[in-house]
Amino acid sequence: MSVLLVEVKGVNKSFGGIQAVANVDCDLHEGEVVGLLGHNGAGKSTLIKLLSGVYPIDSGEIRVRGEAQHFESPRDARAAGIETIHQTLALAENLDAPSNLFLGRELRTAFGLLDSDRMEHEARQVIQRLNPNFTDFRKPVSAMSGGQRQTVAIARALYFNARILIMDEPCAALGPAETRMVLDTILKLKSEGIGIFLISHDMPDVFEVCDRATVMKNGAVVDTVNVADVTPEDVLGMIILGQKPKSSS
Amino acid sequence: MRSMLEKAGFDARFSALVLALAAIWLGLTWATDGVFLSPRNLYNLSIQTCVTAIMACGMVYLIVARQIDLSVGSLMACTGMLVAWTQTNWLGIDGSLGWIVSIFVGLLAGVAVGVFQGWWVAYRGVPAFVVTLAGYLMYRGAAFLVADGQTLAPLSDDFQRLGGGLQGSIGPLWSWLLGGVACALLVMRTVGARRSRVRYGAKLAPLWADVLKVALIGGALLAFVAAVCAYPDPTSEDGHGKGLGLPVLMLIGIALLLDLVARRTRFGRHVWALGGNPEAALLSGLPTKRLLLQLFMLMGALSAIAAVITTARLGSGTHSIGQMAELYVIAATVIGGTSLAGGTGSIAGAIVGALLIQTLDNGMVLLDVSSAKRQIFIGLILIGAVWFDGLYTKGAKK
Amino acid sequence: MKTNKKSWVLAALLCGVASAALAKGDVIGVSWSNFQEERWKRDEAAIKAAIEAAGDRYISADAQGSNEKQRADIDALLTKGAKALIVLAQDASAILPAVNAARQAGVPVLAYDRLIQDPNVLYVTFDNFEVGRMQARAVLALKPKGNYVFIKGAPTDSNADFLHAGQLEVLKPAIASGAIKVVGEQYTDNWSPEVAQRNMEQLLTKNGNKIDAVVASNDGTAGGAVAALKAQNLVGVPVSGQDADLAALNRIARGEQTVSVWKDSRELGKAAGRFAVMMAEKTKPSAVPGAAIWRDGSKKLPIAAVFLKPLAITRDNLGVIIDAGWATKAQVCAGVKPAAAPAACK
Repeated sequence: MSVLLVEVKGVNKSFGGIQAVANVDCDLHEGEVVGLLGHNGAGKSTLIKLLSGVYPIDSGEIRVRGEAQHFESPRDARAAGIETIHQTLALAENLDAPSNLFLGRELRTAFGLLDSDRMEHEARQVIQRLNPNFTDFRKPVSAMSGGQRQTVAIARALYFNARILIMDEPCAALGPAETRMVLDTILKLKSEGIGIFLISHDMPDVFEVCDRATVMKNGAVVDTVNVADVTPEDVLGMIILGQKPKSSS
Repeated sequence: MRSMLEKAGFDARFSALVLALAAIWLGLTWATDGVFLSPRNLYNLSIQTCVTAIMACGMVYLIVARQIDLSVGSLMACTGMLVAWTQTNWLGIDGSLGWIVSIFVGLLAGVAVGVFQGWWVAYRGVPAFVVTLAGYLMYRGAAFLVADGQTLAPLSDDFQRLGGGLQGSIGPLWSWLLGGVACALLVMRTVGARRSRVRYGAKLAPLWADVLKVALIGGALLAFVAAVCAYPDPTSEDGHGKGLGLPVLMLIGIALLLDLVARRTRFGRHVWALGGNPEAALLSGLPTKRLLLQLFMLMGALSAIAAVITTARLGSGTHSIGQMAELYVIAATVIGGTSLAGGTGSIAGAIVGALLIQTLDNGMVLLDVSSAKRQIFIGLILIGAVWFDGLYTKGAKK
Repeated sequence: MKTNKKSWVLAALLCGVASAALAKGDVIGVSWSNFQEERWKRDEAAIKAAIEAAGDRYISADAQGSNEKQRADIDALLTKGAKALIVLAQDASAILPAVNAARQAGVPVLAYDRLIQDPNVLYVTFDNFEVGRMQARAVLALKPKGNYVFIKGAPTDSNADFLHAGQLEVLKPAIASGAIKVVGEQYTDNWSPEVAQRNMEQLLTKNGNKIDAVVASNDGTAGGAVAALKAQNLVGVPVSGQDADLAALNRIARGEQTVSVWKDSRELGKAAGRFAVMMAEKTKPSAVPGAAIWRDGSKKLPIAAVFLKPLAITRDNLGVIIDAGWATKAQVCAGVKPAAAPAACK
């Protein structure tokens, strides 16, 4: 059995009177991709934000490699080895790729000033591994295509040697070629032993890369299934009706 | 044309701004029979620009971060009155202690107000427009109350030097020295930057472009030093040149520091990121609230410095200084290329913007244009600059 | 029990009637255009004292420079039961609807220091034409020939034009004969000393420092002009002013300013307070002591007016200011070198 990276036990979160996440259990192992599925408002994005430290949990437990964690800010989540690629990518449009890669973790020279050239050099290494066609490192993000932005966001997660990745709808705004590139990247990372939580609405993508899938509805988990054991119709049934699949393992 | 310039490493928008300024200077020189370009007028112009330019440096940061500060003029009046009051009613104008402490009193007051305003914006989520609009009213009233509306005078003679008037400049020797040092640093920095890029295998701008840039900037610097040294000091016996005014030195120091911070420090990078995408800043774990607080503190300090210069120049503390200053400061910042939508801004641009506005005012009085007409012209230029900026950014996106 | 209550009520009624008989208790309302300017505090103190000495009550409002607010202020003062209004108008014509409202309510209006274009008001002011004439006279006496510059007041203030008209009246013969050449003139936005300093700098540059006299319209702008002159080492050029600000008196003692025309606003306030009390008791404007019909406003309306005489303060009569308690010797003589001190500072 491969190493348990993340364990979420009985986690709750409400805003005002609304229960966004209700008693959720899920987990993630090394080298596996777990899909997080559900309709809009099912609680997936909130669960992601809890795991990436944007909000604190109300009750329950999050364990990373067996150690209980209390995330007060995104910095704490990163420190625990969790890197998140949000749906909006969280890139500053007016800054270039190296600046975004190192945002909040900038490299400095001996005098305490930003070491722009070293950051560009490092960024070049990581990004060109993912996408050899990426050449202009002084271009601001606003001038990049969707695929290039996605590359920068993934590179940011990889550079800091995250072993746990959370990706929120990475292919939603991409064309077929760029989607292919992202899926190949996910498979490659999986083979390197990185654990990935993947939110996606696209059934073919889910069935291609995910090992297991956790389906949420109205803030609670319907069930967690092995992707190999179910059909897309089963999964749709879980998402829309909250119905557990007929064949369970 | 634009893409060629940009490949050569020139900021096309800034270049266009400087060219526009040069054109206006030529026009005014011709219209005033050369009086506009005389060393004396250039010296006066440089002093007159300092106050707006210093505050514009801070306003760049604020507007980049998607904030605004409408209270800077009123804050100038309030801190200026406190500086004057410290000298006339508390520590006296003889000796050094009085006026030096008075400057610290002003700075402290400015920063305290910055903390107050910044706290409301950052930690209570009240829009900056509202908080600083309230400040615009409050600090003007407070300025009146400091001395019950009276003008406070006389002030310390040493203090008044900070206004650029009597004994208010550093003379030809130091001016040339500074000019020379500045040029040397400019060359060193360009060479160093080229080497660093070569080492990391990054793209280099063509050599001719860098040489041209150094030549133009260095040339302009030395020409300015020559001009102000050619202006005979009216208060000297031997007619030696005035040299760089003390307010100009303060502006240079502040501009260099803030430009460095913007481009080469974490703080600056974080401010620009916050303005570019506040959500990204939050998700990247940046201390956004603290950043906002610090920005308002910076603006408060700069308003106090502007007040010190204006009060020293006027030789008395009056509660009416800084009227409309906030408008001119914001106009200078926007003309200089800072976008009101946040995320882009330039210190150098803001200073040139301030210079442009002051050039118009300065030149038009030389031409005996009435104050009403002057205001109309300056307003039209502001609209023109923002329209031009809109055209430019639309073009760049294509 | 019942009888006790009745007697309390009766006693209270009697007290009320008695106190009403003792003090007339008329409410006199004052509408300020912009209380923030330097001089109005002294005016207020004098008006208030005069009104309260007559047993009446003082209420006021500050329009903060806005015509609309002044209209609303006057409505409010009328609602609060003012029997007479003293109005420092933000604008002589824009104030008319408010003045009409007062007339309809049967409340007389006193125009304080600034003109109101209405034949039914009592206009109480210092003669601003005379102030301008005094400023020009003092400067002309020191420099009968040469290049003159006018640093005028705010373009939005009609007083600025009255002052300038007075100045020109005195200087006209010299200008016509060519003895005086006007080499520059500029209005000063908001009467701001900062603006005056910048304008003066530019005028000095334009004329190569060949300026022999500066006719400034008030002390604030005079201060800005003097600062510009100082930077060119031209202290001692004749400069005029108005208001007898402490800073200006000090400049006169040091020889940096020639004259400041003093309008003892305490006298103006006292007169206005007295007249307002009289008008509340139905005295007609033209029947007020010292009033005469005046027709020299821009619209040539016949208006009952009382003009108080200003006083030109120069080096020679600084003592008058000190003796009147307007300023202390320490304030006037701060930093004056004993060798060059005026009589009042020795």
